[in-house]
Amino acid sequence: MTALLARSKKNYSCASPPSGPSGSTALRCLFPSLLLATALAAQTVEFNREIRPILSDKCYTCHGPDASKRNSKLRFDTEAGAKADLGGHLAIVPGDAAKSEMLRRISTDDTAKRMPPAYSGAAKLSAREIDTVRRWIEQGAKWQGHWSFISPKRPPLPAVSNQAWPRNAIDHFILERLGREGLKPSPEAPKTSLIRRATFDLTGLPATPSEIDAYLADSAPNAYERMIDRLLASPRYGERMAVRWLDAARYADTSGYQSDGERSMWRWRDWVIEAYNNNMPFDRFTVEQIAGDMLPNATLDQRIATGFNRNHRGNSEGGIVPEEYAVEYVVDRVDTTSTVFLGLTLGCARCHNHKYDPLTQKEYYQLFAAFNNIPEFGRASKYDNSPPYIPAPTREQEAKLKALEPKVAAAGREWVALGPELERTQRAWELTLLGGPSSLPAWAGPEGLLASFPLDEEAAGPSGRAANFDGTRTFEGGNTAAFGFLDKFTLSAWINPSSPDGAIVNRVEDKGDGQGYALILKAGKLQANMVVRWLDDSLRVESVEALPLNRWSHVALTYDGSRVASGVGIYVNGAPVKIKVLLDELNQSFNVKKPFRVGGGGVDTPGFRGAIDEVHVYKTALTPDEVSMISLAASAGSIAAVAPAVRTRAQSMKLASYFLHTAAPAHIQQAWKRFEELRKQKDTLVAGFSTVMVMQESPRPRDTFVLVRGAYDRPGDKVTVGVPAVLHRMPADAPGNRLGLAKWLVSPDNPLTARVNVNRFWQMYFGTGLVKTTEDFGSQGEWPSHPELLDWLATEFVASGWDVKAMQKTIMMSAAYRQSSKVTPELIQRDPENRLLARGPRYRLPAEAVRDQALSVSGLLVEKLGGKSVKPYQPKGLWKEMASGDYEPDTGDKLYRRSLYTFWKRTIAPPSMMTFDAAGREACTVRETRTNTPLQALTLMNDVTYLEASRMLAERMLAEGGATPADRIAFAFRLATARYPSPEESRILKGAFHRYLDRHQTDRAAALKLLKQGEHSRNENLDAGEHAAYTTVASLILNLDETVTKE
Amino acid sequence: MDPRFENQLLQTRRHFFSRTAWGLGTAALGTLLEQDLGAADANPGASLCIPHFAPKAKRVIYLFQSGAPSQMDMFDYKPALKELRATELPDSIRRGQRLTGMTATQASFPIAPTKYSFAQHGKSGAWASELIPHIAKQADDLCFVKSLHTEAINHDPAITFFQTGFQIAGRPSIGAWLSYGLGSANKELPAFVVMVSQGTGRPGDQPLYDRLWGSGFLPSRFQGVKFRSVGDPVLYLSNPDGMTPNDRRGFLDDLASLNQLKLQEFGDPEIATRIAQYEMAYKMQSSVPELTDLSKEPERTFELYGPESRQPGTFAANCLLARRLAERGVRFIQLFHRGWDHHTELPKQLPLQCRDIDQPSAGLVQDLKERGLLDDTLVVWGGEFGRTVYCQGKLTADNYGRDHHPRCFTQWMAGGGIKPGATHGETDDFSYNIVKDPVHVHDLHATILNRLGIDHTRLTFKFQGRHFRLTDIHGNVVNQILA
Repeated sequence: MTALLARSKKNYSCASPPSGPSGSTALRCLFPSLLLATALAAQTVEFNREIRPILSDKCYTCHGPDASKRNSKLRFDTEAGAKADLGGHLAIVPGDAAKSEMLRRISTDDTAKRMPPAYSGAAKLSAREIDTVRRWIEQGAKWQGHWSFISPKRPPLPAVSNQAWPRNAIDHFILERLGREGLKPSPEAPKTSLIRRATFDLTGLPATPSEIDAYLADSAPNAYERMIDRLLASPRYGERMAVRWLDAARYADTSGYQSDGERSMWRWRDWVIEAYNNNMPFDRFTVEQIAGDMLPNATLDQRIATGFNRNHRGNSEGGIVPEEYAVEYVVDRVDTTSTVFLGLTLGCARCHNHKYDPLTQKEYYQLFAAFNNIPEFGRASKYDNSPPYIPAPTREQEAKLKALEPKVAAAGREWVALGPELERTQRAWELTLLGGPSSLPAWAGPEGLLASFPLDEEAAGPSGRAANFDGTRTFEGGNTAAFGFLDKFTLSAWINPSSPDGAIVNRVEDKGDGQGYALILKAGKLQANMVVRWLDDSLRVESVEALPLNRWSHVALTYDGSRVASGVGIYVNGAPVKIKVLLDELNQSFNVKKPFRVGGGGVDTPGFRGAIDEVHVYKTALTPDEVSMISLAASAGSIAAVAPAVRTRAQSMKLASYFLHTAAPAHIQQAWKRFEELRKQKDTLVAGFSTVMVMQESPRPRDTFVLVRGAYDRPGDKVTVGVPAVLHRMPADAPGNRLGLAKWLVSPDNPLTARVNVNRFWQMYFGTGLVKTTEDFGSQGEWPSHPELLDWLATEFVASGWDVKAMQKTIMMSAAYRQSSKVTPELIQRDPENRLLARGPRYRLPAEAVRDQALSVSGLLVEKLGGKSVKPYQPKGLWKEMASGDYEPDTGDKLYRRSLYTFWKRTIAPPSMMTFDAAGREACTVRETRTNTPLQALTLMNDVTYLEASRMLAERMLAEGGATPADRIAFAFRLATARYPSPEESRILKGAFHRYLDRHQTDRAAALKLLKQGEHSRNENLDAGEHAAYTTVASLILNLDETVTKE
Repeated sequence: MDPRFENQLLQTRRHFFSRTAWGLGTAALGTLLEQDLGAADANPGASLCIPHFAPKAKRVIYLFQSGAPSQMDMFDYKPALKELRATELPDSIRRGQRLTGMTATQASFPIAPTKYSFAQHGKSGAWASELIPHIAKQADDLCFVKSLHTEAINHDPAITFFQTGFQIAGRPSIGAWLSYGLGSANKELPAFVVMVSQGTGRPGDQPLYDRLWGSGFLPSRFQGVKFRSVGDPVLYLSNPDGMTPNDRRGFLDDLASLNQLKLQEFGDPEIATRIAQYEMAYKMQSSVPELTDLSKEPERTFELYGPESRQPGTFAANCLLARRLAERGVRFIQLFHRGWDHHTELPKQLPLQCRDIDQPSAGLVQDLKERGLLDDTLVVWGGEFGRTVYCQGKLTADNYGRDHHPRCFTQWMAGGGIKPGATHGETDDFSYNIVKDPVHVHDLHATILNRLGIDHTRLTFKFQGRHFRLTDIHGNVVNQILA
């Protein structure tokens, strides 16, 4: 006990291996031994397969790439280091195990001398491991570079004796390995299984009965291929492929920290779907997502693509140190990019040199530099997107805009052509005004006036009467002007202050630094405030010059709803004045209960002293011209009296506007209205464009430094963009920036990108990658089950021009993929995880396919491609109990969209997706995992999604399924499993149906309750008892193991 | 052969025999709800050689106070501050250490002494303020750690750090680590249960996140299951209206017959597991409502936990449920009580918050003690950081607020092999810096694991090539507070 406690005090490196195996279930233990059995059978020990994993896991911590942890010359990550003369003795003497010090030290019973030492926390080598090392040394200790860092060479197809089985190259590799293991492949699965399997794999949806019928009826030798081609051409293919890419790209609809506000990245999501559907080559897919913005004449699509590197979480919490999070965002980009494209755990080199792979901390920051040069701020916006972002119209919106623009231009031309006539008629009208006093019609001025307070009281104003304020009086304007931080608005007034401090207009709470907006006089200067929380959630700007006292001035505040100080304008007497930004941290909207007030309000500013007149509130941000107009007290009549040549711009504007709106000839007014209307249409359309966060290069490059221990506030040496030395060089023509890095990722010399990505394709179809550690191809990663096959696929992928659809097809066309997934106890024992592929894949469908299938077979699914994320059913109160604001489910079609369109709140992810092992989207996830839990059973049985689907499937059974219970049951069974039930299954299902029917016909109240699930209307012509019984049968079918399994 | 390897082989064999026996193989049950099946199969941690040594505690009840309670208004008594009221926090104390963006640009940092009176309690003479009379009465059962410190200065990273040992999302929570290491002692309930409650001091604040009880890179079956007070206690637990338990039983029998046919035809052990999981779901449909049904609790129970314990969803009711979960062998029970983030108007908000938790927290300790459960149940109480001695915003005669303070704060622990009636660690006169026995978050984690018989350096999981631990590369067991 004492010893254990003493040990626990020791701080190991973060790479300290455990003393037990790492797997959580005993199942994990079998496969390595399976490989080991193969190895023992083989004649020679292969370094990369058998020795490197031992060295990496047991020795690298102290004798590895990290120089700071090496206490001796001996290092096992390089051949020279491992075979170096250590002063008269050598760790490894090739061919001579007895003289090899290493072997002595790993096998000694003397715990003081044994390696790895107890204090390292690493377990002693097993007898087998020691024996493997011994045989390797005896065989000459042949060294190999780490396999994944060496470019794949296209291997020859292994010879196989069974010539009949292989359908393509893949099968040669599979069969050869099976032969070595003494195993045989399984027969081909029945056609119904094949179409169901392939349809789920390529579209994420079940095959429909008519698709199945067509395939079964197709007796052509290439019927299977035609079926695959049809699936690859389906728009559903892009949706299916996108889901896994969204997991890798940690795509979500919220920012992910603390209050986890909504953001808008779905245009990027739709770009991904479209790219897959258009079969964009993978190299282009990569370059555009990493650096589409830096391509020459980058298109809108190429810029949207860069959203990939903005999908990381963003922290908007009050009081954070922005520099700290600016670093975290770049770290996330480096980690995600290296996992997704390189299969490297580069993140391990953030604080120190990598413990296992030859990657230095400096190299980490060289990649960091590529993603660091973006004009972003560490504190993210609490709601919506954080800069930089761009408007990203949908295809439909783009088309509308394209159609609208010429109309606007034509109306504009028409309007301009009327210029001379307008001028002429205006002049004539002016002359009539000069003829004597006439009562002019009223005109309200610029559009958008929300409220006006003439304040015509006892005081004399700039024109007419004004109101006196003595510092105690407050004029209340009622519940108007309830603007939020995203609203455009303008406030204007005439003021004649006698004191340099005082409230002018506001809506603020009456407490210190209370929430709201206010225009005040502070030490003579005009100050605009927008406060949610002082100091970290507020905006404050003020005029540089003080306003004269005891004189009338027209003052105006404009705000364009942009949340930032640069969106605020202050005007004095119609002219914008110089302003100083005192605080620019506004991050959420204010919520004010106090009314709109003039001359008082809030506790931080004294009441106004002097006089105020003509307070106006506009729900738009007036343009400078418009402000200059409203700042003129002079009437149109008096302006008309001024000679045109000497009128100010403001005077001319006001007079012209007045004429146009009140006295111009009708056809001119109509032309103006037409132009205005079309312009507004265009503005509304453009304002409705969703935005998307993108990558962008700062005009002035930001320096990048190695961060000591990875800490944001401990910069070390300066670095520039570069790539790890162990990998290939940057292409000669590639620039030393993010674009260069993108090109490097897909350069033909890159040993990793193609392997890592075909491996993930493989995982999509077989459940496990050829390299099981899809996220780690480094020395701690797993040795591939079929290394030559992996290399064949990787070289094929590159040679095809990175043709993604062709690669999917190649895998699906293989005999390996088409095998039956039936299994014997012997085979389960030999190969529980099906790594050798002596049978076809069989495992539970991914989360989104489980739900999409239920929607599909019930006829509820709405197949609309892309668009804003939707909110399907979710139990009440899930958001509210943990955060503020609640989840409001959508209604109608939006309840039945495919699951990839479900609104993804990172901190409270959709529970039924998470229950079925969906990736959480907080960070990049590339490994697929599957569990089998009671919570899944509860979800499938009781979630309204599945109950409603059961009810609607029952309606289909009654409407389309034939006349007898047996037919109807078979109909539903086939919808879910692609096959008809066996006689035994049919017997059980019919028995169940009749029991349910008895029950529901005796208790009709219960039947009616059962049919209340979900929003979709019920066909009330159906007998409730019968409908309920079929609903229960439908639910039974949706809960079958086979239904939720790809078989 | 290495005995450990032998053990694995044995397990492997057992695993396969059970999984290939077509039917309800025992190991097939062992996914979400691990169960005791004898020593070797007791938990998935058996392959990790857990326990590493004899455990003192079998389970943990962690009363997390989200938002960060003010240590100097509740526990950390600093009488000298009264004299210094409204004076500037000395530079010698602040030492240029970073502040949050909420107060970093504040023009002054006036000392705000607590307005609450303190007294010593019990034989141990522990200090506690008037806001927590019931906890004070329990002082001799508690161990106050006054010298906790953390690295994060904002809620999200700080609470994520407390729960996962890392500030950035992605790692498993402490409860997930423990259910991975220890498994469940109850076959009808999850190993890790979470309950949340709203504070009355500052309603709606701070938000919580699923990741706080998530499984990170561990398999998802180790994540905490949230028991809710509205709707189903466990999501989708209830059958739809119109379906009785008897109907469900019939449905499940039909389902099992069909799945059995499939199993016979295909031989995939996952089918056997699925059949078992549906049975488990059915059992949960009765065991969970039985658990959350407080109607059979005697009057005395409600007196102990306070009147709010009758009201579902309150911290008090959750404390009572925590005891019921502990009785049923749930390994890690974590309560999150919101509402402690008192930047402004602390004197208005803190008393309400303290009233929420005072009697229930003390009642829970007392109740466990009376039932003999305290000996092997470790209770932990505390938030993600502390609060500043200086005032955030304007200091007035009757009002003050406090910003986040990661450099020192107080938590208390009870039972489960922790020294009762003790105080550990000391802060300076300003409750700003630690002057004696600092305890880092990693140290707290190491200590909790130690009490459960786990060496924190040996509870690891390999992910991305690295053997990850809850305590990262740090953590020392706080030996001084071990009983």
